[in-house]
Amino acid sequence: MSDFRLVSKPALSDRTPIVGKHISLEALPEGHVILVMGKPGAPAAETQPVSLSDGQPNAVRTAGPGQWLVVGDQPRTQKEIEALFTELGADIYGVDQSAGRVRILVHGTMVERVLGKGTSVDLAATSFPVGSATVTLIGHIATHMTRTDVFAFELMVLRGFAESLWDDLLEMCKEFA
Amino acid sequence: MTSYRLQTGGLIDRQTPVSFTFDGKRMLGFEGDSLASALLANGRQLIGRSFKYHRPRGILTAGSAEPNALMTIGRGGRTEANTRATMQELYQGLEAKSQSRWPSLEFDIGALNTLLSPFLGAGFYYKTFMWPAPLWEKLYEPFIRKAAGLGKATYEADPDTYEKCWAHCDLLIIGSGPTGIAAALTSGRSGARVILVDEHSASGGSLLSETASIGDVSASVFVQQAMDELHSLSNVQILTRTTAFGWYDGNVFGAVERVQKQVALPNVALPVERLWRIVAKKALLASGAEERPLVFGGNDIPGVMMATAMRTYLNRYGVAPGKDVAIFTTNNSGYALANDLEARGIVPVAIIDSRPDGNSAYAGKARVINGAFVSDAHGGKALSSVSIFKSGIAETIKVDALAMSGGFSPVIHLACHRGGKPIWSDEQSAFLAPNGLKGMELAGAVATTVGIAACLEDGANRAAALIEGLGFKTSPASFGTVERDIVSPAAKPVWNIPGIKGKAFVDYQNDVHREDLGIAVQEGYGHVELAKRYTTNGMATDQGKLSNVNAIGLLAQARGVSPAEVGTTTFRPFYTPVSFGALTGAYHGEHFQPVRKSPLHGWAKKNGAIFVETGLWYRSSWFTRDGETTWRESVDREVRNVRVNAGLCDVSMLGKIEICGKDAAEFLNRVYSNAFLKLPVGKARYGLMLREDGMIYDDGTTSRLSEQRFFMTTTTAYAAGVMNHLEFCAQALWPDLDVHIASSTDQWAQMAVAGPKARLILQTVVDEDISNEAFPFLGAKEVSLFGGQLHGRLLRISFSGELAFELAVPASYGESVADALMEAGRNHGIQPYGVEALSVLRIEKGHVTHNEINGTVVPADLGFGKMVSSTKGDFIGKAMVAREGLTSSERPQLVGVIPLDPNTSFRSGSHILEKNAAARLENDQGYVTSSAFSPHLRSTIGLALVKRGSERHDEEVMIWNGIRNEFTPGRLCNPVFVDPENEKLHV
Repeated sequence: MSDFRLVSKPALSDRTPIVGKHISLEALPEGHVILVMGKPGAPAAETQPVSLSDGQPNAVRTAGPGQWLVVGDQPRTQKEIEALFTELGADIYGVDQSAGRVRILVHGTMVERVLGKGTSVDLAATSFPVGSATVTLIGHIATHMTRTDVFAFELMVLRGFAESLWDDLLEMCKEFA
Repeated sequence: MTSYRLQTGGLIDRQTPVSFTFDGKRMLGFEGDSLASALLANGRQLIGRSFKYHRPRGILTAGSAEPNALMTIGRGGRTEANTRATMQELYQGLEAKSQSRWPSLEFDIGALNTLLSPFLGAGFYYKTFMWPAPLWEKLYEPFIRKAAGLGKATYEADPDTYEKCWAHCDLLIIGSGPTGIAAALTSGRSGARVILVDEHSASGGSLLSETASIGDVSASVFVQQAMDELHSLSNVQILTRTTAFGWYDGNVFGAVERVQKQVALPNVALPVERLWRIVAKKALLASGAEERPLVFGGNDIPGVMMATAMRTYLNRYGVAPGKDVAIFTTNNSGYALANDLEARGIVPVAIIDSRPDGNSAYAGKARVINGAFVSDAHGGKALSSVSIFKSGIAETIKVDALAMSGGFSPVIHLACHRGGKPIWSDEQSAFLAPNGLKGMELAGAVATTVGIAACLEDGANRAAALIEGLGFKTSPASFGTVERDIVSPAAKPVWNIPGIKGKAFVDYQNDVHREDLGIAVQEGYGHVELAKRYTTNGMATDQGKLSNVNAIGLLAQARGVSPAEVGTTTFRPFYTPVSFGALTGAYHGEHFQPVRKSPLHGWAKKNGAIFVETGLWYRSSWFTRDGETTWRESVDREVRNVRVNAGLCDVSMLGKIEICGKDAAEFLNRVYSNAFLKLPVGKARYGLMLREDGMIYDDGTTSRLSEQRFFMTTTTAYAAGVMNHLEFCAQALWPDLDVHIASSTDQWAQMAVAGPKARLILQTVVDEDISNEAFPFLGAKEVSLFGGQLHGRLLRISFSGELAFELAVPASYGESVADALMEAGRNHGIQPYGVEALSVLRIEKGHVTHNEINGTVVPADLGFGKMVSSTKGDFIGKAMVAREGLTSSERPQLVGVIPLDPNTSFRSGSHILEKNAAARLENDQGYVTSSAFSPHLRSTIGLALVKRGSERHDEEVMIWNGIRNEFTPGRLCNPVFVDPENEKLHV
């Protein structure tokens, strides 16, 4: 079946982005998401994830003690990922989550109000500045949330919950869309 | 005469008339009216009937404490009972109906209860209806239940939406009266994040009802200017129509915003109510004080009203209460009303002041009677006169409205929600907030500050102190001189009024009168908590906002103690009623719970899957084909096809966990009861996890992909639990081990390809040799697929007992790979199969699931005794699994069970009895854990946990379903019904 053309189907392929004056919602490309795990507090673990990233702003996000998510829009092949893992230090391990996590961008001037309907995190820029990341519930769904700009947040969710989170976000945006 | 609209005045928009109906009668009000003010303006003083005696009732207050003016608003799914007319904004087309009356408000049959009132005192239903006993359930209780209750909820679905949200601030200010506004200006100017909430539709609180001036402008203009400034500050969030209803741990406040309760047809893009959870670094409670009623006879007759409420209707809404107005007061508050009435041309006919010296500063025209009491009000559906009692002499004067003021109770409810008890102050004649509140301070009238100027100053000073404590620089806002400020210091309360002849109500909403409390004390229910339950004082929607303090005062007098000794009942959230809609938020209907979809969901759907919810997952239950009319037909076909050809089943929802690290093997060796330390790379092994108590926790397969990387699968149900368990083991039990754990359930689309032709089909997509020699049973490796287009993980494991593989590919390619396998298997008879067929296949093979791993079994019970290593140093459960009781030969053990007659059947959950034993639980031998119809055996088959089961194969038993009274003769047998020698697994 080597002639069979495989198709990669994004989890939110049948969802239409919304673009509004005050709030917009879009599914980001299913590029790469790599979980990097090291010993909490170990200096090497702090620097390694950065070396794996594509250099884009906010490409490396904290994901818990000693854990980071390296994300980017470009997919990485199995060989590239294996090569990255080989580059990691002796006590640092990577797990490919590129197909398991789906990224959704919510942006617009009302983004804090929208997300405030789902998360208990204080989203004020003074409390959660650009580059901050945390795991939180958006309503009932566990989400990894990163502030990528003053009025932009990236929500990373398990693939199986992506449609459900999207539908919840639509409701949350309705007031401002 | 009745109440009426004045020609001028008020904060209403007289250019915008608003049409509404009350009990079907069309009326007109103005923009800015409340339903209550509009009713009064239309001369409507009788607005409802009381709950128990069906007495005529009028509007008593102008705020959220209103006990009488409860109405049903709206129609259809938007019907809302028990809406307080005093809080309901008037809108075009509003439909209001009175409650607790039949057939009409004017002629209510229930009013006959008044004649029976001597028999309906406190606790009457505890003492009556005692006999004949059978009538209690058949007649008395149904009758009482039918008669009880306030309003009726609709059975129609609510068409509107609700939402919940979070907010964070440095300072939360509750109440936007003079204190709250001063605090908001002070803190807002500092740059701190401030949230100002107020339950009313407009900010300003008591200032909206004031005739005083502040800094040369009227109070209402002052409010407008202050709010304009606050609205201009981006760091200040103003939430009107928002009631802070609870104070919770972490300084979190619950508040409900009535977003669209003031419109007939809500905007669908907005919720009708929004439930806020406000996380505040500090909170300032500026909720003011509630005026107390006075307990005299007939104090519930329409036309009797609180003095401050009458002032609000007069000044804010331009509504006069009547022509002949009397004021009964214990403090100076009543004189402010007297002045305002007189300014509107309504000279009160009398001010009855309980204080011997009255108010010497009063210079109005009204007749003042000091040292006197209103002992009784007279009238039916409207007030006609009052009896004044002074020094033993009674006098009756004709009035059509009576204002009363029995002093003020600080609104301290929120301050008591975290366990603090109110403290009685003799000096203030009121219960005050508990001391030592963490995260909350009180300012203004709630802290016994009196007068506008003092409240402005107090609000500003306390806010400044709070904000400075958070690191902000500020100075208290200052305001101009307050003219015509009414300073009404606390006065001696009057609990018992002399000369009363009629019913003197304490709790209007529950029809509790003065004598009821006396009965409670006489009968041993004098404790405040007992008195509440015995009399129902302080219950229902208003929770005794007006009645509690008077009740405590009367109880104290009856018991001969101080109110401090009586104390209060416990204050709990909610301060005012909160709708279920607001509490539910958006999480109902299709948003009730998240939906978790497999990456193969689309593939399953286009192949005709019928889905079933399992946890949050939607799993393929079976796949219907043309001509199949029952689910059993589909499932039987799928099962037979797997045994004969091949099937493809979506197993993506099995938990998948990646375990990495130098000590990963040692870690697994401690987690599982069987050995994993020396599992070779490229091999999978079935493992049992025990709990510390020795019982089986979960099972699954773990594969070694490299020296330091393992791939664990768990059951679907326990995926999250096992992940948590492993994290706990790694972080808390063995932090010295180098091990890292990551859930990768959603990374992989995983499909089981099972059946004799599984290899033929799979080999067409797998680039490497998967023959039995190259890839034997329990092989596990990463493979190249489709000529190198994709990489995946291939495991040679089987849940069906057939030659089987599980192929995991990156989730986004799942549907495409499944399509390819179906295409490749077309000529080999491949068919999709669902979890129902999967269950039949595993029962036929005697494989266990959590039906058998029910939290009470140890490995030996299921025939896995050899999987408990005797050579490993330690593992979770090792010590406890060796306990005497867990190794007893009497324990239930896994067996198969089949009916003697294959045409008969039995159900899971049925119990096993010895062949001739009586059907009693004492004869119980065990129960059927799983059952299914086996197309292979053409009979129902089951797995069961039976005492000494492994020794009892071939024993005839009775399978007993006690609930359905079904008896099926059966036989115990080997639990493996298909291929007991496991030959198929190794082909």
